[in-house]
Amino acid sequence: MLAYALRRVLSTLPVMAIVALFVFSLLYIAPGDPAVVIAGDQASPADVERIRANLGLDQPFLVQFGSWVWRLLHFDLGTSIFTNLPVAAMIAQRIEPTLSLMMVTLFLTIFIAVPLGVIAAWKAGTWIDRTIMAFAVFGFSVPVFVVGYILAYVFALQLDWLPVQGYTPLAQGFWPWLQNLILPAVALGCVYIALIARITRAAMLEVLQQDYIRTARAKGLGQGGILFIHALKNAAVPIVTVVGIGIALLIGGAVVTESVFAIPGLGRLTIDAILRRDYPVIQGIVLLFSFVYVLVNLLIDITYTLVDPRIRY
Amino acid sequence: MDRRTVLKGLAGASGLALTGGFAAPAIAQGASAKTLRFVPQANLANFDPIWGTQYVVRNAAAMVWDTLYGIDDQFVPQRQMVESEEVSSDGLTWTFKLRPGLKFHDGSPVLAKDVVASLTRWSARDPMGLMLKAIQNELTAVDDKTFKWVLKQPYPKMLFALGKGNAPCAFIMPERIAQTDPFKQMSEYIGSGPFKFAKSEWVPGAKAVFEKFTDYVPRQEKPVWLAGGKQVLIDRVEWVIMPDPATAAAALQNGEVDWWENPITDLVPVLKGNKNIGVDIGDPLGNVGAFRINHLHAPFNNVKARRAILMAMSQEDYMRALVGDDNSLWKPLPGVFTPGTPLYTEEGGDILKGKRDIAAAKKLLEEAGYKGEPITCVVAQDQPITKAFGDVTADLLKKLGMTVDFVATDWGTVGARRALKTPPAQGGWHMFHTWHAGADCINPAAYNALRANGDKAWFGWPDSPAVETEVTNWFNAKSLDEEKVVAGRINKAAIDDVVFAPTGFFLGYTAWRKTVSGVAKGPIPLFWGVSKTA
Repeated sequence: MLAYALRRVLSTLPVMAIVALFVFSLLYIAPGDPAVVIAGDQASPADVERIRANLGLDQPFLVQFGSWVWRLLHFDLGTSIFTNLPVAAMIAQRIEPTLSLMMVTLFLTIFIAVPLGVIAAWKAGTWIDRTIMAFAVFGFSVPVFVVGYILAYVFALQLDWLPVQGYTPLAQGFWPWLQNLILPAVALGCVYIALIARITRAAMLEVLQQDYIRTARAKGLGQGGILFIHALKNAAVPIVTVVGIGIALLIGGAVVTESVFAIPGLGRLTIDAILRRDYPVIQGIVLLFSFVYVLVNLLIDITYTLVDPRIRY
Repeated sequence: MDRRTVLKGLAGASGLALTGGFAAPAIAQGASAKTLRFVPQANLANFDPIWGTQYVVRNAAAMVWDTLYGIDDQFVPQRQMVESEEVSSDGLTWTFKLRPGLKFHDGSPVLAKDVVASLTRWSARDPMGLMLKAIQNELTAVDDKTFKWVLKQPYPKMLFALGKGNAPCAFIMPERIAQTDPFKQMSEYIGSGPFKFAKSEWVPGAKAVFEKFTDYVPRQEKPVWLAGGKQVLIDRVEWVIMPDPATAAAALQNGEVDWWENPITDLVPVLKGNKNIGVDIGDPLGNVGAFRINHLHAPFNNVKARRAILMAMSQEDYMRALVGDDNSLWKPLPGVFTPGTPLYTEEGGDILKGKRDIAAAKKLLEEAGYKGEPITCVVAQDQPITKAFGDVTADLLKKLGMTVDFVATDWGTVGARRALKTPPAQGGWHMFHTWHAGADCINPAAYNALRANGDKAWFGWPDSPAVETEVTNWFNAKSLDEEKVVAGRINKAAIDDVVFAPTGFFLGYTAWRKTVSGVAKGPIPLFWGVSKTA
């Protein structure tokens, strides 16, 4: 297992290298010029050129790419064109809010979606199943920002229970931290809850028709034991897979959620960097996200061995 | 149903709920009475006001760095850091003396050598600074408190140049910082203004913090815009960056922020309906909408084609697309200068007035040789103003029988593409839209978009010797009356040659909680004189 994990970690390196080249090339050919944004509306073309030269943007592709890779090999993500701050420092400033949002969302999702999916499968074809699936369709169909606005309207503006926006670091207390995350996590989690509930239901329906479930029932095992000990464990592989895929959804959804709830996380940093063409920041974040994604997939693969002893690497 | 509709509906509903008295114990507390939370117009992504000339940088910089002079609401430069000035009888030598008690935020005194270094850096980037640099003999510190600027020819607009609020402003910084290459970003933010910048708390894209500079000695005069005594009545100003207007509206209603610089028009009725919120026009100088036409390529390299646009365009259409039915927010603009300011004139602007004549415009286009070639209109969709203008223009061009190549893109792409002089079919463009702060359009000093010096002109590269001659005459004018006469001729020449097509004059609101007092109208948000109760 350890050798496998090590191999997988090492195999992320070529993936990261391809991602790096791909991202750099895309940004190079993408329209837009940070020098123009920096120079402002009143700048002359000569000013813009001088700023481009100072930023090294007038260098050929290979020179720019080579210099970026060289810095990367020295664990230096570069400096933001706009803020003049190290990209690593900017990411470090923003990682806690995004990580917090994702963790709370994941927590909420798993603890809501899996039981819902199990219940829907258990009560398949009844009004309970149909109600849960209707909620799932709603979760899939309604955009994150709409859910976000509705939640903010009800729980912040009307009831005044929770704040509309912002983020409080965990170091300032658990409740202040959590109260800023509840609404965004629910908004972001809707689609994810829907996805996992549906997958759980489908996987459970298949498992519940197996002979060993019938045997378990025949020997008088309680419904809870059948559902959550025997069936759910055997249905876990597709559920765990979808949880992994869902991390990508979370990363995408965090961009919108962080904008709606003014959370200073990586999603907003990404959007700001793209709109301004802050290349080093975009490159740094995409590399980070791709690394996280590869890592999550590795963790998912390892989790398979925990839920299904037949799987060995 | 789109995002904006949802946002508007919910904000409306929330406004009703709040004004209807849904008050409950607030879990989301506002900041203390000594901290003002402000939502600025944009993200403070960098903080070098000479290197980056965005309005938001200038607005933040005006809190941290002081200027030698400050413009008041009559557009007259008043002494700010300067105690006295003297100009020689030939107008060539200016001698300035700094007022006592000036200190930088690091505790060091403001000296003449700091001023010299600051003006040197500024004059490498600012259009008026560049003019001064071109006619400069020497700029030197005479002693710690006195500096001298010796010119090769008189420059009557000297004090305006040093006090203007247009970016980049002539901000004064310590010599060691001012010696940074003007095309490279500085990394220390030490000024002598009424607020200190808390660099350690700066999270670009999220928050910027300014603390009261207790050693600041304000002038004794009443504060008016950038002039007078900058009395700070709060300890701390937190800029909270909120990219989403609905969130900003909700946060203001909920007391999580105190002042929102520029609420979008759609949400203003909700804010006006909230008894805890004050709403008023923020910047009385507003904005001048602009429809830039590329003078280099057919058919618009022919003045007849450009005049056809002026003849056919309805400024009311542009303005209504932007501000809706609120008539207090816009005015027609048959000229290029900011309405309500001394140089405003409508001389030569008749083509923009009265009933729009599509038939005559079509005839002019025909005379200009237009034969149905695609017209590349580059429109930034991520800016509500340019999007609204672009939609109206697309409709206008169709009415004129033109083939529209509507390039819907983002502002970053427009910014890069508009710099290309290549033909539209090879990546260039025929037209794009933008707007200029009214403060930049009060006279030709900082009005790059008005210049018509061909290759050196702003995007579109208009070439109008008549405009350029009159701009030079304005710089040499010695009295306001003389300036007004010249402005009339500039206006006529700019409209005749269609340097650009003005789409109208529009204003914007600002909104604040009523616990805040002292919010003054001005070309930038002014934090001195502002106080807050708990």
